[in-house]
Amino acid sequence: MTSRQSENPVPATSDATELSRRRFLQGSVLVGFSAFLAACTGSTPSVSAVPASINIPTAPPVSLTPSAPPTPLPSPTGPLKFANWPAYIDLVGSAGTNGVYAKGSSPTIEQFKKKYGVDVDYVEAIEDNKTFYAKIQAQLQAGTPTGWDLIVITDWLAAKVISKGWAEPIIPADVPNAVANLVDSLKNRPWDADNAYHYPWQSGMTGIGYNKKSLKAAGIADPTSLAHLWAIKSDKVSFLTESRDTFGLGLLKLGKSADPATTTSDDLQAVHDDIKPLVNAGLIFADNSYLNNFASKKTWAAMVWSGDLASSGSADDVFQVPDEGVMIWTDNMVIPKGAANKYTAELMINFVYDPKIAAQIEDYVFYVCPVKGADLEIKKIDAAAATNPLIFPPADVQAKFHNFQFLSTDLETSLDSLYLDLTGG
Amino acid sequence: MTAVVVVTTPPRPSLLRRVARLAPYILLTPGLLWLLYFFIWPLAQMTLMSLSSGTLDSGFHVTGTLKSFSDALTKFGTQWGNSLIFGGTSTILDFLIGFPVAYTIAFKGGRYKNLLLFMVIAPFFTSFLIRTISWQILLGDEGPVLAFLKHTLGILPVDFSILYSPVAVVSGLTYNFLPFMILPMYVALEKIDFRLLEAAGDLYGSSWQTFRRVTFPLALPGVFAGTILTFIPAMGDYVNAELLGSPKTRMIGNVIQGRFMQSTDYPSASALSLLLMLGILVAVAIYARALGTEELTG
Repeated sequence: MTSRQSENPVPATSDATELSRRRFLQGSVLVGFSAFLAACTGSTPSVSAVPASINIPTAPPVSLTPSAPPTPLPSPTGPLKFANWPAYIDLVGSAGTNGVYAKGSSPTIEQFKKKYGVDVDYVEAIEDNKTFYAKIQAQLQAGTPTGWDLIVITDWLAAKVISKGWAEPIIPADVPNAVANLVDSLKNRPWDADNAYHYPWQSGMTGIGYNKKSLKAAGIADPTSLAHLWAIKSDKVSFLTESRDTFGLGLLKLGKSADPATTTSDDLQAVHDDIKPLVNAGLIFADNSYLNNFASKKTWAAMVWSGDLASSGSADDVFQVPDEGVMIWTDNMVIPKGAANKYTAELMINFVYDPKIAAQIEDYVFYVCPVKGADLEIKKIDAAAATNPLIFPPADVQAKFHNFQFLSTDLETSLDSLYLDLTGG
Repeated sequence: MTAVVVVTTPPRPSLLRRVARLAPYILLTPGLLWLLYFFIWPLAQMTLMSLSSGTLDSGFHVTGTLKSFSDALTKFGTQWGNSLIFGGTSTILDFLIGFPVAYTIAFKGGRYKNLLLFMVIAPFFTSFLIRTISWQILLGDEGPVLAFLKHTLGILPVDFSILYSPVAVVSGLTYNFLPFMILPMYVALEKIDFRLLEAAGDLYGSSWQTFRRVTFPLALPGVFAGTILTFIPAMGDYVNAELLGSPKTRMIGNVIQGRFMQSTDYPSASALSLLLMLGILVAVAIYARALGTEELTG
């Protein structure tokens, strides 16, 4: 089936089951936010505040031949191999409950398959950037296909992959929605200024998450600051396996700037020394597994990513923007070099930049939306979500954003070894 | 008289016989190629990598430096110790749990032997990871075991916790490698000629003496195989320590995994892997010597 037959976006289904996880939202997001009504205006967070002094890798020039005569559109091929993080797309039914993608469990994927007549192999294959990078790095280096057509990786890794020439260029004509609807704050990123190789999937905050019930039972007040998080019984707390998040918040906790331009190895050492006693007292490091740990009461409070608790946690799980500040990051869609279904990957990028589709994803994942117009669309399916501070952070929260993504090689090396020492690996 | 020159050619071996002579080599070829490609070659690569320096981004170059080895030996005392203690403890526990099981199935199993053996193996049709993650639930603070002991019986304090402790790691290791202990011991016990035990009885050996002087020595090859098959993977395992342990209970396998996957410090990871291999080889050699090799080969 050759398609693109329909330029009309797929109507977002209004099936109530798809929105069933919304109920978690009420208990989850209101704490810690007061003045977020400003978000209704569709203003978007400025998440790309990166000082120019950091050595950010830059993208190689695109070696396309724009003068080539217009060729007939290729037809989508499949299955599209799509690697993403856990619980990072709209899931329904039991898959939604378990946070596991199963065939037919993501309306967005199913609508894409139907629209383009192509199969999608959506795999929750990424749990942290480093580990995923180690898996695909050898193939990229050797110039052989990684087996993936579309991957979702965080800023610093996207910059690295792109600067090494390991990403396929994204042809603007293939992704008109993305060109038109990418929010301004995420344009002109220094490492790929004209989006020749990437488009953001979601942005998110890293802050404090806790289970209200567990803390109440233990007689602990709800934490509003990182200092509070540090003070909770360490064997009931987890930090993140993503070292930039853990150390970024660690810097903020010590009253440091969490700005890669001014941070030194000594600062990181200070964070390490601040966290080490907690590790000795039983602190663990978790990725999305903190969700399970909240459920099993193993963990009472943790460093968490903003959308997870709202999308997959229980009604008692709360996300809190710490007083000291919050980390902001963006995960980006990149087509790795040698992708077998590059055109289909571009179609997918284009598809999720349709505000209706974006709204549908956002209403499940509760991360910060990179798509213009999604706030208007989300109003139609879920009025509360349109003012949800997790999806559309208000100005006072945006003022607390810190980006600790692009580190100099020296800083990255010392971060790696300090982090490994903390985790015992 | 003209001499008749008879030219004799040596009898040519028939094709069949030549093939027959080569047969052992032909039969060995697939195995040898397999070993060459999947063992010898990676081992050589790993050795070279352990002598290299560099980073993933700039590339690794063989410089002959021994820094990775000195780091590996000096920096990770806790983790080496954990590997030895956790691996050793779980091997001993597996033996203590497994021997009675193997003995019972071999001697008392009767017509249920196959069923019992199947029950030993049945859980292992599920993936290793899933089984280990299930232990997170089983050992959870409010999991079925602890919740019962804490709330129903009230014999444990409410904040008592096992998960992410050494006990949890050893439990996971013991559980995951138990069949590797039971099956070889079962095979050894099962083939013991029952008439030998009767003879021991005829010679006035008590049942304990019979066990100690006849049954157990005859089962030794199985015990040896079982402990080796348990200890080696348990020592190098990182999944149990990762999922059931905390940063304080990391084993050497976690360090290797961290170097490979997290900090992409391939030289250190290679040096650690080589040292782990060597260490295990030496340990096994000593163990085999101590048990007596001639008994093991029957």
